[in-house]
Amino acid sequence: MTIRNTLQDHGQRYRPRMACLKKSEKVLLEMQDPKTGLKSQPQRLVITTIPHAITGEDIIAWLADRFQIDTQEARSFGSMLVALGYIYPLQDHKRLVIKPDSSLYRFQTPYFWPTQQWPVEDTDYAIYLAKRNIRKKGILELHEQEHYNRLHKWMNHKWDFIVMQAKEQYRAAKERKKPDRVVFDCQERAYWVVHRPPPGTVTAMDYGLDRQVDPNSDEAITPDFYERIMIFTQQSIMRPRVKSSVSIGALVKYCATYNNHDPFLSRCLPSNPWVTDDVTYWTLNMPCVEIPTKMRVERWTFSFAELLSDTRGRDDFRLFLKKEFSGENLAFWEACEDLKWGEAASIKEKAEHIYKTFLARGAPRWINIDGKTMEVTVKGLKHPHRYVLDPAQTHIYMLMKKDSYGRYQKSPVFKDTVKKAICPDEHRFSCAQLEQNSKKRRPSLSPIILRQMEQEQRAKMAANIDITQLCRFTTPVPHLAVYSGFTDYPTATASPSLTFLAHTPACPSPISVALDSTSVSERRTETGEGEGEGNPAARAQVGGNVSKSRMALSLRRLLKGGCTPGTMFASLSPKCHSAASTSSRIQPISPDQPSQAPPRRTGNFFQIKVDIPPECRIYPIESEDEEEESRVASRGGVGAKEIICPWESLTTQNGTG
Amino acid sequence: MTSRWRRSVDELALRGRQRGECERAQEALGRVTSCFQQLAASLGSSADGSFLRDEMDETRNLAQRICRGLSRRLLRLLSDCGPAPSGLEDRQVSERLWVLFLSALETFLSDLRKACDLIGRFPLRQRYDRRALVNTGCVDGVVAVAARVASVQAPWLTLEEEPTPDLTNHITELEAMLSEMQLRVPVAFWSVEATQPAGVEACGGLEGLEGLQEVEDSLEELMEGEIVSRRPACCCLSCVG
Repeated sequence: MTIRNTLQDHGQRYRPRMACLKKSEKVLLEMQDPKTGLKSQPQRLVITTIPHAITGEDIIAWLADRFQIDTQEARSFGSMLVALGYIYPLQDHKRLVIKPDSSLYRFQTPYFWPTQQWPVEDTDYAIYLAKRNIRKKGILELHEQEHYNRLHKWMNHKWDFIVMQAKEQYRAAKERKKPDRVVFDCQERAYWVVHRPPPGTVTAMDYGLDRQVDPNSDEAITPDFYERIMIFTQQSIMRPRVKSSVSIGALVKYCATYNNHDPFLSRCLPSNPWVTDDVTYWTLNMPCVEIPTKMRVERWTFSFAELLSDTRGRDDFRLFLKKEFSGENLAFWEACEDLKWGEAASIKEKAEHIYKTFLARGAPRWINIDGKTMEVTVKGLKHPHRYVLDPAQTHIYMLMKKDSYGRYQKSPVFKDTVKKAICPDEHRFSCAQLEQNSKKRRPSLSPIILRQMEQEQRAKMAANIDITQLCRFTTPVPHLAVYSGFTDYPTATASPSLTFLAHTPACPSPISVALDSTSVSERRTETGEGEGEGNPAARAQVGGNVSKSRMALSLRRLLKGGCTPGTMFASLSPKCHSAASTSSRIQPISPDQPSQAPPRRTGNFFQIKVDIPPECRIYPIESEDEEEESRVASRGGVGAKEIICPWESLTTQNGTG
Repeated sequence: MTSRWRRSVDELALRGRQRGECERAQEALGRVTSCFQQLAASLGSSADGSFLRDEMDETRNLAQRICRGLSRRLLRLLSDCGPAPSGLEDRQVSERLWVLFLSALETFLSDLRKACDLIGRFPLRQRYDRRALVNTGCVDGVVAVAARVASVQAPWLTLEEEPTPDLTNHITELEAMLSEMQLRVPVAFWSVEATQPAGVEACGGLEGLEGLQEVEDSLEELMEGEIVSRRPACCCLSCVG
């Protein structure tokens, strides 16, 4: 009775990835030809002589001659044959390589060849270990002992059979003549070195995941089969195309850029964990490490996407933006990522939150997007879905990329990071140390713990939101208990960072493809103008300064008690600012907002409340609104602002204007 | 009254005898299958030949006869386990035999499948087919192994004489036997425990082989050869230079 243990199943069901096996077999059979094959020599042992031993250099020479390749490649090919188990070394049997000297090898018998159909059974391995136990009188190697104990536990029900069979096989092998017995034992041992490799080795039988379906079997022709073909061809037609010169050029550029950063193509400092079993490299490159490595920082300069996708890079960028007082862009972008990749149930809630925090007029962290995009976005927000904020997000992404990214790279923040970045020395491990390392291998932190850590990080970040980081277009008065919003989604590190690379703005959602057709052209004219006019950054700053002074002026007016809240805030609204702003990039939200509240409510788009926690008062009842409006007006004071989503108020009402 | 008691005693004795028979047959089966493995290991190699294949057929035949008898008797043992007083222990012993037999059957089946495939790959019908055989270093015929097979005795072997089935038919028949047995009798195989602790085979000397230990050691040394200690075992496929 076999419990099929698929843990270490090197069986080759449905593994066309191992097409090398059939080819290797052909080559091996060619080597047997008495005329054109390999010349063998007898192996002289103390008590006997065993024929058919071949030397490493002969193998390499034969391969080089047969396939017309150079020695180095023939050597790799030969090593592959050894690693797969078709040829085994007679000396140093645990190292599955071809040595280009007179070291001896022998061909493996076809019974022990690795092939497609026969899985390598744990039962056979257990019998082999029991036999070794008998021969070595209990002194097994460490990994063999571990396997033995494990199998004894899991195969306890058939252990009697295993021991019996081991004894019988031991006796049966004794019936053979001595040279053949040696050969058989060598063959069996080589077989298990290939299929149950000792720890710290790289095995050639690692083929990745098993395929569930046999790709060589015939597929039943059903209507579904044809439907899948149709969908596939339709999608192929819809795919955008690019000239091969362009795409190849991009590939070449990518390879040239990333060549030095690839841990397998070039050095990996301090050492490649997969080779030396030392995890310093991973520790130094953790997502939230204090001091990044030089290579990592260099990667941030390759592209904006690279910077954003690296958590540490994003943190650095966030710090820079904080100093520039334009952190809302990144916050908005992250909020959009969180919306895109988050749970479906929370989409509506998150969308509203984002609107109130970033998009509404007078929002605490208002972002600057052009009118058309804003119009489209707000319209879409009536029925929010995952990709509703795509156009806005793309716009902000391009804004950051073209504007802030460049400045970031010249900024003192970045220069400081570059200076502090470390460049670890290369490890030089001796043989014994490498063995020790392989024994000390431990699994990494469980994903559950990692997720907990990320959540703690997020909570910490939320608690540290700097409320002075307001958009320059909203009131900067510090004593206002401003609802700076966005407490829950500061860093979408968990899911978005994993999937970000696959879903950069370069792969737009279907909706943004449709929307982009208009906004892209707009943006292009925008940016074109912007760049044409020289230094947009300076002008934006000028605009900001102007707005700040204007705000101060308005407040002074208010405090004198001379104006109603309505007019004061009307003057503060971005609508008025547009007149003062000289940057062509900052386009006003047109006063004819289609998503505005019912026409009766003109003038101030929002109301002022005092110290109301953000959770309440989101959807006020009509009558309360009016009461509060009048209350505020009578008080003449100011307090926490509250944004009402324009689509919330559905009914017309009477109230103060 | 006493006659009923006597009958139950007789039944117990009978069942005990049957179990003993099955145990001996199991040992015989183990012997035959391990010899079969030795023969199959030479398939496709320089030691392959018509003699080898004939011997394999003989071995198969013997194994088949043992299997048939054993499966029949085990089925009988486990199906009609009546309300006997000491039924539980007997049942456990019978179940153990059952599990051992099925494990042996599975191992033998996998060997048969491999052999079938190898024979298909190295047909040896013509003389020039011998050129394709792999030079593995084995030259001996497996005469002694065959002799060992011939020496196997099982209780009912003399009774049933049938011609050797074709290899593929043999496999099909065994597969059918396996599935039939598993369907007919529900045995919880995980409840069967090993009778000996781990590692006991290493301590006990195998009967009649104590004198050969020195030879074993020298063989082991022969196999070791020289051990070059450089980087720990790794195949050079994915090393970065």
